[in-house]
Amino acid sequence: MSDKQQIYIRRRIETVAGLLALGLLLLVVRAVDLQWLQSERLSTLAEKQRYREYEALAPRGSIYDSKGRTLAESVEIPSIAVMADEVPAERIGELASALGLSKKRVQRKLGKRKGFVWLARQVTPSVAERVMALNIPGVRHEKEWRRYHPLGPETGHLLGFVGIDGKGLEGVERAWNSSLTGESGLLQVRRDARGHSLPDGAWLREPVAGKPISLTIDATIQSIAYAALAEGVRSQHAKGGSVVVMRPKDGAILAMASWPGYNPNNFRRHKPGEWRNRAVTDVFEPGSTLKPFSVAAAIASGKWQADSIVYCEKGAMRVADYTIKDDHPEGWLDLTGVIVKSSNIGVAKLALDIGPEPLYEMLKQAGFGERSSTGLGGESPGIVLPLERWGPVETANIAFGQGIAVTPLQLAAAFSVLANGGMYVAPKLFAEQLNSADTTAHRVIPEEVGKQVITMLEYATTEDGTGSKAVPIGYRVAGKTGTAQKPNARGGYSRNKYNAVFAGFAPVENPELAIVVMVDEPQRSIYGGQVAAPVFRHVAESVLPYLGVAAQGDLNAGWQTVEAVETRAFDSESLFGMSMREVRLFAAQRGLRLHVHGSGWVERQKPANTLALAQGDALEVWLND
Amino acid sequence: MTAWWAKSWVLVLGVVAVLAAGQIWLSHLRYELSLANQQVEKERQLALKETSTLRLELANLTRPERLRKLAQEELGMGPPKPMQVMHP
Repeated sequence: MSDKQQIYIRRRIETVAGLLALGLLLLVVRAVDLQWLQSERLSTLAEKQRYREYEALAPRGSIYDSKGRTLAESVEIPSIAVMADEVPAERIGELASALGLSKKRVQRKLGKRKGFVWLARQVTPSVAERVMALNIPGVRHEKEWRRYHPLGPETGHLLGFVGIDGKGLEGVERAWNSSLTGESGLLQVRRDARGHSLPDGAWLREPVAGKPISLTIDATIQSIAYAALAEGVRSQHAKGGSVVVMRPKDGAILAMASWPGYNPNNFRRHKPGEWRNRAVTDVFEPGSTLKPFSVAAAIASGKWQADSIVYCEKGAMRVADYTIKDDHPEGWLDLTGVIVKSSNIGVAKLALDIGPEPLYEMLKQAGFGERSSTGLGGESPGIVLPLERWGPVETANIAFGQGIAVTPLQLAAAFSVLANGGMYVAPKLFAEQLNSADTTAHRVIPEEVGKQVITMLEYATTEDGTGSKAVPIGYRVAGKTGTAQKPNARGGYSRNKYNAVFAGFAPVENPELAIVVMVDEPQRSIYGGQVAAPVFRHVAESVLPYLGVAAQGDLNAGWQTVEAVETRAFDSESLFGMSMREVRLFAAQRGLRLHVHGSGWVERQKPANTLALAQGDALEVWLND
Repeated sequence: MTAWWAKSWVLVLGVVAVLAAGQIWLSHLRYELSLANQQVEKERQLALKETSTLRLELANLTRPERLRKLAQEELGMGPPKPMQVMHP
């Protein structure tokens, strides 16, 4: 081998060795790059491949009534989403048809977007199955929770509703959103080569289920109250109304309903104005329903006794530059007479005599002018003027319920004070509040005075009083009617817009229910005794037996004679000319729910044909002397 | 001496083989358990979902308003008169 050849071979070896060294160097560089410089990113990528994260949705807490019946429940429901840029344009028509949407609408939703787009949220399982069976690329089946309120409009205002993203937007759902809402969890699981999850998964974030809530509401009473209010409002062609039913002893709110109702399962079909819970958001002048408190303040002052008499000025009295009038002019009345005849002048005189302070204190102590402890959103504190603004005119007006504004809930809590013999017990909406000691309970009216006022209120529901239509057969009721002109925008009072109110409790001897009925702008009659009292009776006569409070046989002697009286054969469809007693007998024999207007002889009836009426139907008659 | 070494090696290899087989068996068992666990969890979720739906359905079917309507329209019942309600 010549030197030239040897040099050539050595050069080749050197070249190869150099290339190998270069290769090794590059490998080292790459190793450093992969193991050191890109280590973090690549580790993350590898982990992403090995691990998978699942979001575990936490359901929203249920809402139950006092007997454990479901008032609100969340159920898992499918939704359809797409990765917009992955859906083939030629299959949009198919997709739209399976979803029951127009092709244009789906195209508009997708537009020129990229990535995740909701296509149809909270669809029925059959629609979701139909869509997924098409196996269109980019179409995803997602799971969401949907909130249902099985009682629908009956609990609509109280419970409110939940938006599509699971957030409470009104009522209890909104007020206790943070407690009801669960926190979704994140589970990380390791996958094997075939993509199956291995059992050593770890929670990156534990899911926390929403807490269930038990209310003091009783679904049956709520339903009765809603139905009674609806009937009362419809029959009066009124604008709306509210009913609050409380148990005076512990302040449990058994029912809270407003009309017009709305369906919380389909809340978008209703105007936002219809969503509010009028029983706590809307205030009204309580009118004569405030008189028992004025009388109680007068007796508690020691200046007046139950048998004291007051001259009611024959229907008109001047206070400063303002004239107070009574609908029914009266002369001398004792305090019971003042309540029974609902004399504005009578209570105004009492209030002017004792001065504003005792009445102001009593109203504040009874819960007026302050929000209740229920915590419901949008609750109004009502309006009670500060004491320094109570001049003679204001004092006289407030004594008979003008110049003060209250919510139906406040009025129910205040009448619970009377039912409890003078003790204030704060209204409660949550069952757990009933178990804890009530630190807010306090005495508002001396016990003896409370008893005297209860007796007066019972007289107010006799045939001589304004609230006789509130009394169910077999029960004793204490209550007061109220008819208040509505304030107008000019700072005065409307001439033809009224609120009709009835507030009371039953049975008198051991009150189980305090009920407030407020009917807004009734058209056929404006009087609380004609409009709101029948709603009260309807609620009381249905709820008291349900609560196990038996009717007393010795009450309402007229009823006792029903079976004994020889039954007259009613074969005519008209009741024209019948007496009140005969109409009552007619209704009792057929189990009809009778509504009587006026006294004397039947002049008009509804429906015209009574022969077609079945048991439980309503019969309304107008009597005229 | 050589025989002793050979025996030792065989023993070590045997132990390693048994341990390896055990490891494979455990891995398989773990995998099977994982699948069973996933299945049970899936069934639990399904049962919870069904319970929730049934609770809702029950609440819907026993709605006081619905019961009232059924009692009045189908059974011809009406609100009880006070004297018809007896309590001991």
